[in-house]
Amino acid sequence: MNLTELVFVVLAVVATGSALLAMTSHQLVHSALWLVVTLGAVAGCFVLMTAEFVAWVQVLVYVGSVVVLVIFALMLTRQTGGTTAEVTGNRWTAAVLGVVAAVGLGATMIAGFHGQRIEGRRIGTAGSIGDAIFNDWVLPFEILSGVLLAALVGAIVISRSGDDH
Amino acid sequence: MSLLYPLVLSSALFGIGLYGVLARRNAVLMLLGVELMLNAVNLNLVAFDAWFADQLHTGQVLTLFTITLAAAEIGLGLAIVLALFRAVRTVDVDEVGR
Amino acid sequence: MIRRWSYVGLTAVLAIAVAIWAIPDLRERGWFAYAPDGGPSLTPPLPTLSPDLFLYPTSAQIVLLAVGIGLLVQIYSTAYLGHHPRYRSYALIIVLFLVAMIAVVGTTNLWTLLVGWEVMGVCSYLLIGHEWETAEARAGAAKAFLITRVADLGLVLAIIVIGETYGTYDLLGAAPFAGEGHHSTAIGLLVLVAVVGKSAQFPLHSWLPDAMPGPTPITALIHAATMVAAGVYLAARLFPFYADSTVVLTAMAVVAAITMLMGAVLALVQVDLKRALAWSTVSQLAFMVAAIAAGDPEAGTDHLISHGVFKALLFLGCGCLMHAVGSSALSAMGGLRRPMPVTFWTMTIGLAALAGVVPTVGFFTKDSVLHAIQHATAGDDGLAAGTAWALLAVALLTSLVTAAYATRLWLRAFFGAAAEGQDVHEAPHAMTGPLVVLAVATFALSIGQPFHLGMGVVSTLVAAAGVGIVVLAHRDGSALDWSPAPLAAELGLDRPFSRWIPAVVAPVSRLVVDLDRDAVDVYPRSSAGAAGLGSRALELVQSRNAQRYATIVAAGIVVLVVVGVVLT
Repeated sequence: MNLTELVFVVLAVVATGSALLAMTSHQLVHSALWLVVTLGAVAGCFVLMTAEFVAWVQVLVYVGSVVVLVIFALMLTRQTGGTTAEVTGNRWTAAVLGVVAAVGLGATMIAGFHGQRIEGRRIGTAGSIGDAIFNDWVLPFEILSGVLLAALVGAIVISRSGDDH
Repeated sequence: MSLLYPLVLSSALFGIGLYGVLARRNAVLMLLGVELMLNAVNLNLVAFDAWFADQLHTGQVLTLFTITLAAAEIGLGLAIVLALFRAVRTVDVDEVGR
Repeated sequence: MIRRWSYVGLTAVLAIAVAIWAIPDLRERGWFAYAPDGGPSLTPPLPTLSPDLFLYPTSAQIVLLAVGIGLLVQIYSTAYLGHHPRYRSYALIIVLFLVAMIAVVGTTNLWTLLVGWEVMGVCSYLLIGHEWETAEARAGAAKAFLITRVADLGLVLAIIVIGETYGTYDLLGAAPFAGEGHHSTAIGLLVLVAVVGKSAQFPLHSWLPDAMPGPTPITALIHAATMVAAGVYLAARLFPFYADSTVVLTAMAVVAAITMLMGAVLALVQVDLKRALAWSTVSQLAFMVAAIAAGDPEAGTDHLISHGVFKALLFLGCGCLMHAVGSSALSAMGGLRRPMPVTFWTMTIGLAALAGVVPTVGFFTKDSVLHAIQHATAGDDGLAAGTAWALLAVALLTSLVTAAYATRLWLRAFFGAAAEGQDVHEAPHAMTGPLVVLAVATFALSIGQPFHLGMGVVSTLVAAAGVGIVVLAHRDGSALDWSPAPLAAELGLDRPFSRWIPAVVAPVSRLVVDLDRDAVDVYPRSSAGAAGLGSRALELVQSRNAQRYATIVAAGIVVLVVVGVVLT
């Protein structure tokens, strides 16, 4: 086990633990904050796999805006009544399904890619990714901006029609 | 690094995210689980790209696109949750079904 | 007023129609000796239900008696029950009853007779229970119906035996072959069972006194004159079929003897006028049965007709007294001869007929019965001589007691001190009119009755003795209330019906109800429960809970993937 793998294992443990805490915490904002930790750990994993641009975008977009939006939403939808239990009666089914999904996927991966190794090549620099996007992936990029516009308009419309009541 | 480490981590995160989607009572935190699942997928994509290392950097580019879409989706999802909250004063998924 | 009289009109139409039909047949006397010319031909051996109406002369008399008393009762009821809310059903059920009685008496087809018999039983139930708000009326009606219905099994079996033995269910067809000894004992005993039930003989007598909660005109019509007489009529009609069986005749004589004396003694100790008359009916019916047992069914039916007339007179008069003093208890009556002269004189005539005083028809027919029994003491056919002598002795003793209780009732009701605080006046004309008609009939029917001098003298002496004893006791100041305890409790003869049988039947019926609820009904109920469970299970799919839908989708995907991966 070389240094990379060791660091990766540490980051993986952090990510898994904080993900569990995020999904089961009874405090609403704590869940969001534990998710921040998870996302940060995953970004660290990206860096270990030499995808530094993706790691940076992850921190920027996910942690910076998505989690902030979630915390905003949590504050705005604070219920005036007492908090009820934070998990439904569904949770045993959900736990079973989650375990089955994880184990199934993991087993498939292991069965398929046993013994493969990642060679350490610097492939994820901003320059090379930028080249790839604007040379080979232009069309999906433009469509994606269209999707973003649509989402923006949609969010405004939905928020506004609530006001008209 | 063995390819299996990121893959197994992504499967685990996916399972945890699935549990969160199905078991959380607050609609906002349900969306949080969805984000976690998307993140696991991103990790998978990047790992494969690091292993395969093709000329188009497919995995990483797709990861960028996924991050963008996830951001758009969470915006829209939260707008819907807010509209729901305005309508029924609760975001508890069990109450909302009534 | 017009509303009520329309039912009287309906009954009158029926009565006139019957009269036109029946009067021409009155001329002859005789039973199976009467050979009809142009009567219905032999019916095929299968049981048919055609009316097969045909009147023997005695049948004609009975049918006229029935509609005549029915008409008088309808007229009487316009005043007695005129303001009752259920008057319409009452009057129409009386008409139905008369039709049924005509069916019983006027047909030669045994199955039609059975239908009429049962319809009479139903009408009796409905009419006794006319005041169904009171518990005694309901209980009396149910008891009468149940006891007579159980006894009717005897009639059904007798009809079947006759049909199988003679090959036809038509009496005219079977008549020429009767008396040749086929299954006489069986037929006779089964008929005796039916008679015992319908005509209230021992041991099935207790329903008749308990039917007294019914309205008095109904008691006059059904339980004195017609329905209970139908049992005697049946015994007389089917007499040739069992006449040669000494067993049956002896059994009839024994039943009659027990019943007549018991009825008379119990009538002597009653404190209620109506109940006393009921026991008197039981006793007089036994007289008729005794005449048949002695081998002379004609004497029996003659006494039936005369008893019908004077007993109806007595019951209707009792109704007038109840209308005046408000109850039928003897303690409420007394000294009523001055305020109610018409009732007084007509009831005197009726009681005289009951006791057997000379110019009334009661004397002549009782005389015929006693003569028939005396004739049987010669012992040549039918009853053995010893049985006949015993029967004669009991009949004479009963005549004594009958005269005694008739006199007692007469003295208690009409003489002596009046009860205090009463405003007594004569009953309305609609009620006293029938009384007068029946009183006249009591004398008019005496015309043409056979007269036997020897027995006539004996019976007059016996009756005079009975009257004399009671009058002397009254002169001595006795209140004429003799009720020793066992007699007051009517010898406990009702206990099998009021205690023992219900004690057995009630747990059985409770068991049946429980079985039905727990063993049979459980299947429909559990299918409803199963449907409920199934729907609750399916309800989970429609929970309107987004997470549950998502769970189901995720579970489905997992299953599909696993199946797909594993199977390929």
